[in-house]
Amino acid sequence: MSIFDKYAPLQMRVDMMMKIGQDALGLRFDDIINATRGRIEGREILLAGTNNYLGLTFDEDCMAAAQKAVTDHGTGTTGSRVANGSYAEHIELEAALAEHLGMPSCIVFTTGYQTNLSAISGLAGDKDVIFMDADAHACIIDGTRLTGASTIRFRHNSPEDLDKRLRRQGEIEGGHALVVIEGLYSMFGDVAPIDEFVEVTHNHGGYLFIDEAHSYGVFGETGCGLAEQQGVLDKVDFISGTFSKSLASVGGFCASRHPEFELLRKVMRPYMFTASATPANICAARAAVEKVKTGGHLRDNLKLRGAQLHKGLTEMGYDLCAEAGPVIAVRRPNEAVAAMEWNWLIENGVYVNLAVPPGTPQSSSLLRISLSAAHNEADINIILKAFSDLKDKQGELMAGMAAKMQAAQ
Amino acid sequence: MPNPTLEEAYNKICELLVPYNPKKRAIEMNSGIMSDLEVDSTAVFDIIMGLEDHYDISIPMEMVSDIKTVGELSAAIVQLTSEG
Repeated sequence: MSIFDKYAPLQMRVDMMMKIGQDALGLRFDDIINATRGRIEGREILLAGTNNYLGLTFDEDCMAAAQKAVTDHGTGTTGSRVANGSYAEHIELEAALAEHLGMPSCIVFTTGYQTNLSAISGLAGDKDVIFMDADAHACIIDGTRLTGASTIRFRHNSPEDLDKRLRRQGEIEGGHALVVIEGLYSMFGDVAPIDEFVEVTHNHGGYLFIDEAHSYGVFGETGCGLAEQQGVLDKVDFISGTFSKSLASVGGFCASRHPEFELLRKVMRPYMFTASATPANICAARAAVEKVKTGGHLRDNLKLRGAQLHKGLTEMGYDLCAEAGPVIAVRRPNEAVAAMEWNWLIENGVYVNLAVPPGTPQSSSLLRISLSAAHNEADINIILKAFSDLKDKQGELMAGMAAKMQAAQ
Repeated sequence: MPNPTLEEAYNKICELLVPYNPKKRAIEMNSGIMSDLEVDSTAVFDIIMGLEDHYDISIPMEMVSDIKTVGELSAAIVQLTSEG
C-alpha cells in the first residue's frame, strides 16, 4: 500500500491520455512569441486558448511598465502586505481599479485564485449562508470551504432557482445570505443575467458577489464587465477579477461598494499569509487598466472575431455550448475523442484547451477556445480550417486512435 | 409529501444515479458514491440538487462532504425531511 494508491483511477486516465498523445494538462511551450503565436517542438502554433482577451501581454506600454518596475523596485516583494508593508504601486493600482469600477474600496491580491479564496472566506462567517452557482469555479468552491458558513448550490444561471432556495432557507438567524456568481463562465462561455440576480438577491436582503475574471475588460462601455454592460454595476456588492486575463499580468482584485470591505485586510488569511504581488506584475496590470478603459476598439474586434468563429463552427455542424463570445466551447462525445482531437489540433498548428470532467459542467468533454483582440480575420480562418479538416478526417482519426490503444495494450 | 423512509430515499437516489452509472454497477446501501460508483464531484452535486428539489430540503455542501455512501445519503435525507 502506498499513499498514492488512492490516485489509481486518475493514473489510468493519464495513461489513456498518454497512449493517445501528449499530456494535455502539462503542455510545454518552447516559447511564447506574441499574443497569438507560440512555439512547440520547434513548430509555430496559433494560440487560441490563453484567455489573453485583449491581447495586452506584449503591449509596449504594459511591458515598459513591468520593466521599469523591476529597475526601480527589484524582482520580488519577499513578504506579505500585512507583515512587510505595501509598495506605493499596490496602493495606486487599488485606487485606479476602485475609481474605474466606481467603488470606494478595492484590494489587490497575488493571484486570481487567491482573490476569491480570500474574499469569500473573509466575508462569510459561521452564521452566514453562501448561495453559489452550480457551475462556480474551483476558487469559489474552495473559498466556501475555508468558512464555517453553510453553502448551498443553485441551478446554473437561474435567478428563479436562487429565489426558490433563498425562500426555502427562510430567515438566516444572526447572519446574511452571500450570493456568489460569475459574469462569463469560463468553460461554456455563457453569460449570467446579473441584473436579475441583483434583484433576487436584494429582495431577500442578501449580498451579491460577482467574479468577473473572464468578463472584466471584455464587456461594458469602459470595460468594467458584464455588470456595467447590464447597467447594474452600482448595485453589485462585491466584484472580483483577475490580472491574468484582460489585464495581461498575474494577480487579482476585489472591489466593493461597501467601504467597510477595507477591514477585511485584517481578516482574510490567504491575503495576510502570502507574499504580495511583485512590482512587475502590479505595474503591468496598472498600465493595462488604462488600456481597458479606452479599449473599445479591442472589445469591438474581439466581438467580431467571436462572431466569425461561432458562425463558421456552427455552419460545420459543431455543437457549441453558448452564444458567440470570447470563449467558444465545442462539445465532444467523450474524453478520449476530445483528447485525440486536441492532439491533432496541436500537431496541425492550433492550440486550444482540452477541458474534461470534473472541471466542466454536465460532465462534458470540450475543446475550449478563448479568443483575443489580437486575433485577426485570417487567424480565425486558420482555426476554422483546422476544425474543418478535423471533421473531414474523423474516420481516419478514430482508426488511428483504435490502433494506438491496441498497440499500447 | 409524507417524510420518506430510508428505503424510499434509497430508491430515489438510485433513480437519480441512473444517468451517472452507464456501466450499470449494482447500487447498494454501502456503495461509495465516488469511490465505488465513480460518480465525479460535479455530478454528485447535481444529484444533490435533484434530491433537494424532490424533498424540498437544503443539503449544504459541508454536509455532503461527510457523506461517502448511498446509505449515508439516504439517512441524511430521512433526517433532513423529519426536521422540516
